[in-house]
Amino acid sequence: MGNPTIPIPISYVSGKYLLFSIDAVTYLRREHHVCGVLIGTLPQIPQQNVFLGLPLELMPEEARLLVDKGVACIVDETKAHDGMKSLLEEDRRQYLRELESQGLNASRKLSDRKGQQREQVLKKLDEKAKAKAIKALENEGETDTPPTPSPSVLDEERSSSRSSNRTSGHTMAMGVTPTTSYPPLAQPTSSQHLPPPNVPLSYPLFAHLSSRGYFLSPGLRFGCQYVAYPGDPLRFHAHFLCVSAEWDEEIDLMTIVNGGRLGTGVKKGFLLADQKSPRLNLKLNEWKVCEHSVLSGQACEGACFCFRCHKTSRLPAVVARRLSLAAVKDTSGDALPCSI
Amino acid sequence: MTTKRIENPIPELSQLSELIDSTSASTNPQAATTLQILHNLQHQHLWTSLQIHASPSNSTNSDSQESRPPLISGIPPNRVYTHPDEQLYMLEQGLREDDLRPERLVVIPTAQGQNWSLRRMAAVFDALDEITITTEDDEADLETRPPVEGDKAQKLEEYYQRREKANATLEWGSKRVLLGMVNKGMGGDGTVVYYIVQEGEVKPRQN
Repeated sequence: MGNPTIPIPISYVSGKYLLFSIDAVTYLRREHHVCGVLIGTLPQIPQQNVFLGLPLELMPEEARLLVDKGVACIVDETKAHDGMKSLLEEDRRQYLRELESQGLNASRKLSDRKGQQREQVLKKLDEKAKAKAIKALENEGETDTPPTPSPSVLDEERSSSRSSNRTSGHTMAMGVTPTTSYPPLAQPTSSQHLPPPNVPLSYPLFAHLSSRGYFLSPGLRFGCQYVAYPGDPLRFHAHFLCVSAEWDEEIDLMTIVNGGRLGTGVKKGFLLADQKSPRLNLKLNEWKVCEHSVLSGQACEGACFCFRCHKTSRLPAVVARRLSLAAVKDTSGDALPCSI
Repeated sequence: MTTKRIENPIPELSQLSELIDSTSASTNPQAATTLQILHNLQHQHLWTSLQIHASPSNSTNSDSQESRPPLISGIPPNRVYTHPDEQLYMLEQGLREDDLRPERLVVIPTAQGQNWSLRRMAAVFDALDEITITTEDDEADLETRPPVEGDKAQKLEEYYQRREKANATLEWGSKRVLLGMVNKGMGGDGTVVYYIVQEGEVKPRQN
């Protein structure tokens, strides 16, 4: 699998950032820890949504990160395909011929594989027949059984049919549907690239976690902004449910309770971080974990806090209940039924 | 048909209410919350050598978000948090949590409905180095522990050295505090829940 040419064009189609080349998808996942979400179904079976394929949809943050790194560029797909009409007839033919040769190649490979499989099956059948014949020969002395055709005859029949099949192996070219249109069209030049995508305020957190080697995926499943995996999501469980907040943003403590409870329930930490803060008077070593520079070289530090639920009740259930009921009495000061 | 009247005298105040009333905390909700959590730690969770670290006196300025709240510190009977890597090291060394000397942990007293910001949380973490322990119970607690035998003592020594190194590199997590939250106000039943809050990205435990 070859490496794609850099910068990789990210197709901007109706507000979405999409990738259509499998080479680009695997390269970005391998080298830049950008996974995206596969969204393509088969046109014939659109209900099948367990195993999705190309295209790959990127979050705006992912697209922005790749553009900022200089790995990718944003291309307006609609505009880029205007060139399709002005394609020269000669180029068009050439392209079609190329596709056909690719198709021929594919069908040849397929028929080769089929032939191999067929040969293997036939070999097995031959062996079985031979074993049967030998057994029959051994039995012949004792009982009068009708003579079976000798293995040599079988062999001849088989080999003749085999050779005839091989020669008549169809060489119809398979239809090839390319996923990208950049061989016939020229790669868009840098003047045709769109500006970097607009990103939400949580982008600095995204960029920071990504720079620390985390794989990030959308947080919809866990009610957060990003889910951070320490390695490829196919191999690792996520570590954090990430939520971004502003430095002075008022956070209801219930948010922390909810995040902490949910995070602990799914064996993850709830990570609350600010994006950008004027805390420049802090000692740097103290904030080693948190410092990150984002947005065009502008240095800023952030605070990352990780919340985990602490299981308080090591006490037996009854005792715990009594204590919490005692607490009821404590706070209100009024009489409450307190019978256990 | 006769109805039986049940004498329903006004109950006495709870120990906690008396404690809060007996101090000057009754007029200051934050101080009352602090006392309530301290009471909970002391009697429900059996923490020892508890101490309240009042918020700095210059906190009377208008910017209340900037000021840190009073903090509580104390020694829990069992270890509250062990970093997964630390746990692995301890397993390899054959040490148990009970073998380690007790550690002081800081608790932030909060009540449900309070609003917090990351700035305020960061102020608490900054203040962790500044708080001074005045209670003498630490030493006394150490003395009452049975002395450990030669082999284990050496392993413990190794562990403490390793931990110092880990603290410098933040391998085993960085600063951590406990966030204690009282269920208060309308319909609040006074339950206190605790959350571990850590600074930086600290990988989760396999609990």
